[in-house]
Amino acid sequence: MTARVGIVGVGHTRFGNSSEYDLADVMAYAATDALIDAGILEQRHEVDQVFVANMASGIFCHQTSVASSLVSRMDMEPVPAELIENGPASGASAVKVAYMAIASGMADVVLVVGGEIMRKLTGWEATDTVATMLHTEAEYNMGLTLPSFGGMFARLYMDKYGCTERDLALIAVKDHDNGALNQYAHVQGTCTIDAIHDNVTASVVNNYVAEPLRMYSTCPVTDGAAALVLVNMDSPKAALFKKKAVRIAGVGSATDTHCVHNRKDPLLLDAVRIAGEKAYKMAGIGPKDISFAELHDAFVILELAISEEVGFFDRGKSYLAVRKGETTIHGSLPINPSGGLKSKGHPVGATGVSQVVELVRQLRGEVEEGRQVRDPKYGMSVNFGGFGNNVVAIICAKD
Amino acid sequence: MIDFSMYDVKAPEILGYKCLTCGALHYPAPMICSKCSSRRDPVTGKRWETFPLEGPVTLLTWTRVWNLPEGYNVKYLLFGIVEFENGLRASGRLGVDEPRTGMKLNTRVEESDERPGKPVNVFVFE
Ligand SMILES: [Zn+2]
Repeated sequence: MTARVGIVGVGHTRFGNSSEYDLADVMAYAATDALIDAGILEQRHEVDQVFVANMASGIFCHQTSVASSLVSRMDMEPVPAELIENGPASGASAVKVAYMAIASGMADVVLVVGGEIMRKLTGWEATDTVATMLHTEAEYNMGLTLPSFGGMFARLYMDKYGCTERDLALIAVKDHDNGALNQYAHVQGTCTIDAIHDNVTASVVNNYVAEPLRMYSTCPVTDGAAALVLVNMDSPKAALFKKKAVRIAGVGSATDTHCVHNRKDPLLLDAVRIAGEKAYKMAGIGPKDISFAELHDAFVILELAISEEVGFFDRGKSYLAVRKGETTIHGSLPINPSGGLKSKGHPVGATGVSQVVELVRQLRGEVEEGRQVRDPKYGMSVNFGGFGNNVVAIICAKD
Repeated sequence: MIDFSMYDVKAPEILGYKCLTCGALHYPAPMICSKCSSRRDPVTGKRWETFPLEGPVTLLTWTRVWNLPEGYNVKYLLFGIVEFENGLRASGRLGVDEPRTGMKLNTRVEESDERPGKPVNVFVFE
């Protein structure tokens, strides 16, 4: 029997510019919020294990061993603490490892904290740092970055399926509508399709970044942290928590070729598909059972492609659902009700944890007015590492 | 004084790898052949052969990237994924201003010193 692992506490900083602050402080703030939410601030030594998700603090902040720093400033010694790094999917990987720690019996209560401070560097330096996850010789050295791959992927997708730049803009409008209502989102404003696409001045407001992707097709550079408290629902320690647990029903992850050019079909995101299939199998459900999803829209084209790979829509058809409004909060399958990476922001190490925080808050029915998904049963998150070479999918359930 | 070392300077190249056990071609270098599982020894190179990646390619997809950092003295850079006639694929820069998916291009390799650290060899498909 698989372990019953529940989430009993969540914490989240307001994403944005935290570059004046220390990374461990920002992470510890979100983690303390999660302990308070779980009702175990004073009993924090009941935590058996801490996992910290971070991608590149060594470069972004010139700071390493943040897990040790974090537990110490939270007065949690001697609780064991380790760092989990899986690029921009570090957050969901930390949740996965926490699940494994509980399922193995080695821990009953685990604190997961994801965080990144990227804005101590300039925008380009941050983009360059993220690009170090590409293949050094065959990709990074060429001058390629993640937006470059986003652009090349978008061109293939749009040429093959007839998706337009206006469709991409519609996703941005939807994401910003949601993010404007999310107290934790980096970008709190809305945008209109007129301003970012239809109007004659739109191409100035919404300039190209990596053609055909524009500024409004791309996530901002963001700082922030998010945290979760996980518990073995069948252990005596479950009695510590007053709030009803949101159960982690499925976890799946998979890898793909490091070099994008080595994929037989560069439009297929096999790691996303396989991670999704594994998560569904573990949860004993399928795509039709999902009430809403948080998908890794570092570039809005990825929201489309991921939504197809995990079976929400037929291949090449997801943008038609966007046109019909099916993925808005009040649509048949809300996608990125948090605002997604596009609006909420993408502090790389935090994102996977932040996505799961959103799943929990939606399933508890406690998000801000106007962006609550109606009566959700299952929420799914997909956290995308590399350009799709290391992906983690998580399904949470309200039992 | 003449610097005789300049006569040793070779045109920059980027290498493909051939597994001599089964004949499969690879780029970039793997540690294990995906076709026959032969191991590559990066020190001796035994049972593996290298060859320069060159010649005509087909452009599979491309992008024009704006807002480059300091160090790049151009307004934008073009990048693409291409396929060589031997079936290998690569990512690199484009030296044409109006690329079209499916167009035929030629391979040039040049040295780039835009990013910090030692200069590196980059593809320019043009
Ligand atoms: Zn071989």
